[in-house]
Amino acid sequence: MSARLEIEGLTHSYGGDEPALSELTLSVEPGELVALLGPSGCGKTTALKVVAGLLSPTHGDVRIGGESVLGVPPERRGAAMVFQKSLLFPHMTVEGNVGFGLRMRGVPRGEARGRVERALKRVRIEGFAGRKPGALSGGQQQRVALARALVTEPRLLLLDEPLSALDANLREGMRELIKEVQREGDHTTVFVTHDQEEAVVLADRIALVTGGRLRMYDHPEAFYERPLSREIAEFFGATNFLRGQARNGCVETPLGTLRLEHPAPPGEVTLTIRPEAVRLEGGENSFSARVRGVTYLGTQVLYGLDVSGGVHLRAALPPHTRLAVGDEVTARLPAESLWALADGETTPG
Amino acid sequence: MDRRVKITLLLAPALLVVGVLFAGGLSAAVVQSLGYLPAIGMTEPNLDAYREVLGSRDFVDSLLLTVYVAGASTAISTVLAVLAALALRNSAGRLSAAVFQLPITIPHLVAAVGIALVVSQTGLGARLAAALGLIGEPSEFPALLYDRYSVGVILTYVWKEVPFIALVVLAALRGVAGELEEVARTLGANRWQRFWYVVFPTIAPGVVAASLIVFAFTFGAFEVPYLLGQTYPTILPVTAYNEYRSIDLSSRPAAMAINVLIALITALFAAAYLRLGRGLGRG
Repeated sequence: MSARLEIEGLTHSYGGDEPALSELTLSVEPGELVALLGPSGCGKTTALKVVAGLLSPTHGDVRIGGESVLGVPPERRGAAMVFQKSLLFPHMTVEGNVGFGLRMRGVPRGEARGRVERALKRVRIEGFAGRKPGALSGGQQQRVALARALVTEPRLLLLDEPLSALDANLREGMRELIKEVQREGDHTTVFVTHDQEEAVVLADRIALVTGGRLRMYDHPEAFYERPLSREIAEFFGATNFLRGQARNGCVETPLGTLRLEHPAPPGEVTLTIRPEAVRLEGGENSFSARVRGVTYLGTQVLYGLDVSGGVHLRAALPPHTRLAVGDEVTARLPAESLWALADGETTPG
Repeated sequence: MDRRVKITLLLAPALLVVGVLFAGGLSAAVVQSLGYLPAIGMTEPNLDAYREVLGSRDFVDSLLLTVYVAGASTAISTVLAVLAALALRNSAGRLSAAVFQLPITIPHLVAAVGIALVVSQTGLGARLAAALGLIGEPSEFPALLYDRYSVGVILTYVWKEVPFIALVVLAALRGVAGELEEVARTLGANRWQRFWYVVFPTIAPGVVAASLIVFAFTFGAFEVPYLLGQTYPTILPVTAYNEYRSIDLSSRPAAMAINVLIALITALFAAAYLRLGRGLGRG
């Protein structure tokens, strides 16, 4: 049954100068789906393999259901893993593959058959039980791999980029299937991905890892609305950055004094605002600007704006807005959408 | 140029060599085994040579010895090679690769001489055993050369073929078998279950193919048993060679009949073996 996962101070080194993973600490609640997000080579797969027991950490602890599992071999941790490649056993049928974990545990044949059938139904691939993996498409293979992990009712479900080998048109369906199956079974799940959209859609919480370190661990919306650093903001597609001096809750910028709803720490700060939060209207925090570029994206229009003081901003507006290059507009940065990054580095946007 | 024509032309030189030397040689052997040697006035094709060979006690003894030597060499080499590959698969590989690749580069002839120097009753092994007090005199060392169990021949083959099979198995183990084993671990399979249900079926086709090559080779090879084997009965290729060298040209059909039979028997074993391999792969 699903259990709480706690990772504490986890460090793993393959023997090079830089450890692949440094001091990773996070906990996953029972039934929660956490995405380990980061660029390739950031250490996220290493973290997953340490949790599964396939790698031993250099330092740190892994606890499943409150108990340390460091001395426990992978086969007794109850952490089923799905890999990037489906890695089905080529010499077994679909039924043999899905029933593998039950057979290893000595589950009686009749009971195993029923559980395999239900697992295949959950991933919507009933009717293929007698086929060999070679006779299945990539998407079907990955669904069988998911069923093979689910059928054992693992305490933890570990997914290592299970969608990245699939065609784009299959990925969305598989993503929904994973979410549905995970909710239904209430599985504590860690999902490794390099795709921030995938992480946002699937995860209850996202752990952003770069360079082997945890940079931010929060709900998906926090990465858009309250990023901890410019690097994180940029990873999630933020493009508007403004240097300024914070004083009494307001920030003096080249655009004038802006009021923030979220308090800014006094001193040098960098303000950020999502392009889709910028409004073309008057009022608080408004200023005049000139349209310098228009990009039509179908579901929205992206405008590049020149503001006084050599500042450039981007605004994403509904597709029916019709502005042309050179138009004079009034733009507003709503106080509730402005966010101050404490690190103060970076150059004026 | 048409793709097919191009491929045919590119393959032609290799096909020519294989065609002339292999098919040509084999058909000449078949023709001669049927008693057709116009040079000495034998022009009536017949099956006398086969009748003579198959009816003789010598041939049956030879055949049994050959099956025994090839079978024992293959079985022992295969088991040792799989164990060695399993033991070595997680090692970094430079030393193990060197230890494994060295015997492959050494000719069978040299290997046979080397084994003889070590295991003969006047060899290093006998003197070492005597020096250690395990035996009284070097001559008390068991006879491992020219003996009825062909120990020297089998030892030479095992020394030569273990690395060959092990390298094939190692390649399979370091590839997908390792990944499949990790999956099996997270699904709760213990060490023995992982080997039996996942690793072995995955490497089985490679093991079968490599050991088939070893069997076919040891069944038809001549030099090692010629050097280290007993004088009677001799292994089939040696029997054929002795007949072939006979001053009496009329024994040529018998020599050729033995060669054709070696080829046929090897082909039969190969077919049976491949069937077995497919069965194993199915799990």
